[in-house]
Amino acid sequence: MRGPSLHWAARPAFLMRRRTLTAVLFVLIFCAFSRPVAGQTRNATLNASINGLARLSLSSAAISFPDADPDTVPSIQATQGPITLTAKARTSPNGSITLTVQANDHLRSGVNTIPASHITWVAGGAGFTNGTLSATSAQIVAVWTGSGVRSGTQTFFFKNLWSYATGIYTLTMTYTLSAA
Amino acid sequence: MKKTLLCLALFVVPPSTAVAQRLDLSLSTAVITFPSSDPDTVPVIPAAPVQVTYRVRQNNNAPWSLTVLAAGDLISGPSRVDISNVTWVATPAPPFQNGTLSKTVAQRVASGTGNVNPDTLGSITFRLANSWTYTTGTYTQTILFTLSAP
Repeated sequence: MRGPSLHWAARPAFLMRRRTLTAVLFVLIFCAFSRPVAGQTRNATLNASINGLARLSLSSAAISFPDADPDTVPSIQATQGPITLTAKARTSPNGSITLTVQANDHLRSGVNTIPASHITWVAGGAGFTNGTLSATSAQIVAVWTGSGVRSGTQTFFFKNLWSYATGIYTLTMTYTLSAA
Repeated sequence: MKKTLLCLALFVVPPSTAVAQRLDLSLSTAVITFPSSDPDTVPVIPAAPVQVTYRVRQNNNAPWSLTVLAAGDLISGPSRVDISNVTWVATPAPPFQNGTLSKTVAQRVASGTGNVNPDTLGSITFRLANSWTYTTGTYTQTILFTLSAP
């Protein structure tokens, strides 16, 4: 025969078990849905070296001026027409890139000479400038700022005079592309 | 009531997923170097291949993935080269795949399902698109590889 006191003593025990089970279930559900994302990480460092570099190309390695009457053609244009120059260069931030040309000597035909300065050019393209050839100092053809690829043209002209001795005159021009 | 709760718990939490995955990742080198090259002759500069060793355990049939994220562009003082100029070729495919580095979104390098055990090797060759427009300098950046399983 159970008295009221026994009946009251059993109720808390049952509630404790139910609460425990509920807590276990909650923990399990929590674990299932809040399991942290598993991950392994590794670092690596990228290194890239970019060194200074320059390359120049010309559309023609030879320039020729045909014979002409000084009265009718006082300035003879080169047969090749405009020569295309392509300059590729890498330089420092805001570094300057310079293209120059210099004659190795005057125009020479045996013992006869014509000053290199009788050859001039008209330039086309961003950074390019007109100029006069020199056998004594490099003349600026173009100047740019920063790395990149640039193209332009040079059209050469020869000053035609009656005073020239006959002959076939030649000289060599040297182009220099430099990056600072 | 007790049995119901236990059954529900077992249903909600399968025993196998109650254990965290065990993931292992290692790289053969922590430095990836692109040598200076002529853009005309070497339009794309390859670095030495990076060997990736990875293992995924206690993952059952869950997916896993290996990603890479750059911390930024390639930087040399005031100069920078966009990190998207760095791509990679990875083998074997699958689980590896080729891609392009990003500094904003982790890019998937490899992915699969279940376990990968024992240690497995993959090879990643990073490549830098070469250009005359790059400013001279020594550029660096950090990339982060992450092997993860949800």
